[in-house]
Amino acid sequence: MSYSFTVNEQSVEIESAGLTSLLSVLRDELGLLGAKLGCGEGRCGACTVLVDGAPAAACLYPVANADGSDVLTVEGLPQGSEQLTPVQDALLAHGGVQCGACIPGVVMTLTALLEQHAHPKDSDVRSALTGNICRCTGYQKIVDAALAAAETNGDPR
Amino acid sequence: MTVVGTNVRRADGADKVRGTAIYGMDYTEPGHLTAKVLRSTVPAARIVELDTSKAESMPGVRAIATAADAPGLSGMFFVLKDQSLFARDVIRYVGEPLAAIAADTAEQADAALAAIDVVLDPLEPVLDVELSLAEGTRLIHPEWESYETAVPGPRDGNLAWEARIDRGDADAAFADAHLIVEDEFRTQRQHQTSIEPHAAVARYEHGRYVVHTPTQFPFNVRGRVAELLGARTSDVRVIVPTIGGGFGGKLDMMLEPFACILARKTGKPVRIVNTRSEEQATCGPRENAIVRLRTAVAADGTILAQEGRIIADNGANSSGETIACSNVASLVLGGTYRIPNARYVSQVAYTNTPPTAAFRGVNAPYCVYAQEMHFDHIARELDIDRRELRMRNLIRAGDEMVNGQVLEDAFLEEAMTTVERMRPWARPKSEKGTLRGIAVVPLTWITNPGPSGASVKMEEDGTATITCAAAEIGTGAVATGIRQIVADQLGLRFDDVQVSTADTDTGGYDHGAQGSRTTFGMGNAAQDAALKVRDQILDVAAGMLEASTTDLELVDGSVRVLGAPDKQLPLPAVVATAMFSQGPIVASGAFAAPPIPFDSGCMAGALFTSFTAATYHAHLAEVEVDPDTGKVTVSRYVVAQDVGRAINPQMIEGQIQGGVVQGVGYTLFENLRIGENGDVLDTGLETYRLPTANDAPPIDIAVLENPCPYGPLGAKGAAEPSIVPVAAVIACAVADAIDAPLKELPLTPFAVLRALNDKRAG
Ligand code: FES
Ligand code: FES
Repeated sequence: MSYSFTVNEQSVEIESAGLTSLLSVLRDELGLLGAKLGCGEGRCGACTVLVDGAPAAACLYPVANADGSDVLTVEGLPQGSEQLTPVQDALLAHGGVQCGACIPGVVMTLTALLEQHAHPKDSDVRSALTGNICRCTGYQKIVDAALAAAETNGDPR
Repeated sequence: MTVVGTNVRRADGADKVRGTAIYGMDYTEPGHLTAKVLRSTVPAARIVELDTSKAESMPGVRAIATAADAPGLSGMFFVLKDQSLFARDVIRYVGEPLAAIAADTAEQADAALAAIDVVLDPLEPVLDVELSLAEGTRLIHPEWESYETAVPGPRDGNLAWEARIDRGDADAAFADAHLIVEDEFRTQRQHQTSIEPHAAVARYEHGRYVVHTPTQFPFNVRGRVAELLGARTSDVRVIVPTIGGGFGGKLDMMLEPFACILARKTGKPVRIVNTRSEEQATCGPRENAIVRLRTAVAADGTILAQEGRIIADNGANSSGETIACSNVASLVLGGTYRIPNARYVSQVAYTNTPPTAAFRGVNAPYCVYAQEMHFDHIARELDIDRRELRMRNLIRAGDEMVNGQVLEDAFLEEAMTTVERMRPWARPKSEKGTLRGIAVVPLTWITNPGPSGASVKMEEDGTATITCAAAEIGTGAVATGIRQIVADQLGLRFDDVQVSTADTDTGGYDHGAQGSRTTFGMGNAAQDAALKVRDQILDVAAGMLEASTTDLELVDGSVRVLGAPDKQLPLPAVVATAMFSQGPIVASGAFAAPPIPFDSGCMAGALFTSFTAATYHAHLAEVEVDPDTGKVTVSRYVVAQDVGRAINPQMIEGQIQGGVVQGVGYTLFENLRIGENGDVLDTGLETYRLPTANDAPPIDIAVLENPCPYGPLGAKGAAEPSIVPVAAVIACAVADAIDAPLKELPLTPFAVLRALNDKRAG
């Protein structure tokens, strides 16, 4: 079957079985290695990408379901220049990155959270992150980073 | 201003948040083949036949490796050489490799694996350590006496290793004791579960193996691969891409030898990556253990003597460090409190289960848990306050550890007092529906003493590059720590110091990212090299500035004459002048830990004999227990930790937070269970539950600086220890809340309910 959708604002046309995971299409066919295969069972969140703005575990997401959608991976965030997104910048400023294997997924989850929720509370950040396992950091600095990144969204109303 | 003590951003950070860092699991080489390993599905059997002829002719198959391709016997850290890469005549665990296949695609490799014919003659498996050590049990390694060992250690059949400490006169102390208390504790396996599984890509080039692998300890992988393959050590080159977590799990070789053999046989690069289930089932976890303690106490709570027996599960062979670190168990039991008379026996037993291995806090978290729960038992018997009992027996500066090592810089009292200031000791009140408890635990811990070599060179633009084989496993020791130390010595900005990729061909020997040693050991080696580079810079600059070297300082990328700020030279000018006078500026540095005096006569079978650069800690936990469901919530957590000198305080905090949360998982739910067939039951993250953001307690941290005279700028190990006392302090707090001891981990809701019910039943 053939599926067309956008990945990081570029149109792609994928010939594949419908049940092929979006993650293997991204990694093996499109060479986008940012999303990681941490478990392949929807439990760790290292493969998190945004499908039409909502976080999805790409390892379980059938490519057929992406047909007609907009897929955003960590590579689709500002690249190349010195510029980091507020989430990326805050993660580094707050020491929220250790091995970093979970981080592409965490960045996407937090990016979606801050899109939907300009001023989340600590508990909102933690619930959003329950699908992203970080084995290194103990989460505190990731939560601190998310709350700090939210502050760049301007004053809460 | 020096960058030491500041929270610089990690040098690898931007690539990591952008998703552009290439991890071991991302690394590939053009035209690579894919390898898969055929593993045993039975725990114990004789191999009658292994026929690969059908598999060889399957589509896409390029090579098959079997036992004949890996003649060597080896063992972790080369301590006890009882491991062959492939099972030879006998299978000893579920998951033991039987053959490996390289094919054009993963599907072809899998299909070919299924076509290998294996005929087995089953043996009765020995799955339990007590059964293993019992009289008359079948020997798992009948040829155990023929194995080579690094040092003589007491061994006997299924007893793979024994380390003993016998000091003072325990018998006399027991005979005179006011009270004798005895307990037994049992703990489970805990899996490292780094997000990145093991992965390796090897090629065979100019008669040498070149392998890219995300390892914590490149030189160990190099030596282990060479030994298993029967190759020369230097004919293996290990290069380390970005590592996606290790926690001890990536200290040893795992997939590298398969990739190497198959690369040689096919002449093509070979890539192999574990699936999550292979990772959980075959990569060695923290060992399960039994700890028995018996203590003689005076009426005022003074410990007079202690006997301890630890039985740890080695699994089927010594490919993990369980035996290498066996004496750490005894040292940690006798490193925090004054125990004048002691008899500790740390035994490691073979079983027909997957080998166990290093996990942060090697051989210790369960010993500390046992010791502290046992101390609470003593406090209860004597009706002494639990904190008070600990304060009374605490090792203070100048006191001896159980090995006779004098801890001149002991800082436990300061750590305990700091925690007391942060959260004064008082029992929280329980109320209907919520039971509350508290505990505080002191701890002395080790910095791994292994050696390091590094070199530092000046670049034409005045920046510096450190060449070394230290692996950055995520702690920031390479991405921040050693750069900060070198920047400090050379008056450079943090961004003006680079570190080479870890590569055994270019970097000096390094003992691996383990036991918090990178900032300490490699920091020392890099500092040593940087000081020599500094001398060379000053020599050349002194001639150029017509000043004495003692009047010069290195500041902001320049050499300045003290007190004459206008007389200065930018470093590129000094480097350029040096180039054609004395030659390029480069120096190598080295570190070996100074010998530590201890009572060598009191120990046998010990590889770790003392605590180098000992660190001192206190942890406090407050918990809430739901008496209806047994659910435990850690409501508050406090850590005071001596780091010697904080090179990057923010990175240290991150290590403390991460270690505590791994400890929460170990205490409350992580449990890598072994089934009746000797197989790992928890091969996925659905049943092997890891802590999420909602499981992480709020943690208050005090970083204490109690400098180490031989640490770089006073620094000691900081990354590992935070996990060590967590099970102890949380379990003691839960026991306090429910007013009943807890003698097994993990403290699942069922376990807590059972303890509550047992108590109600009286
Ligand atoms: S890899 Fe997709 S959730 Fe773990
Ligand atoms: S930083 Fe290592 S898993 Fe999150």
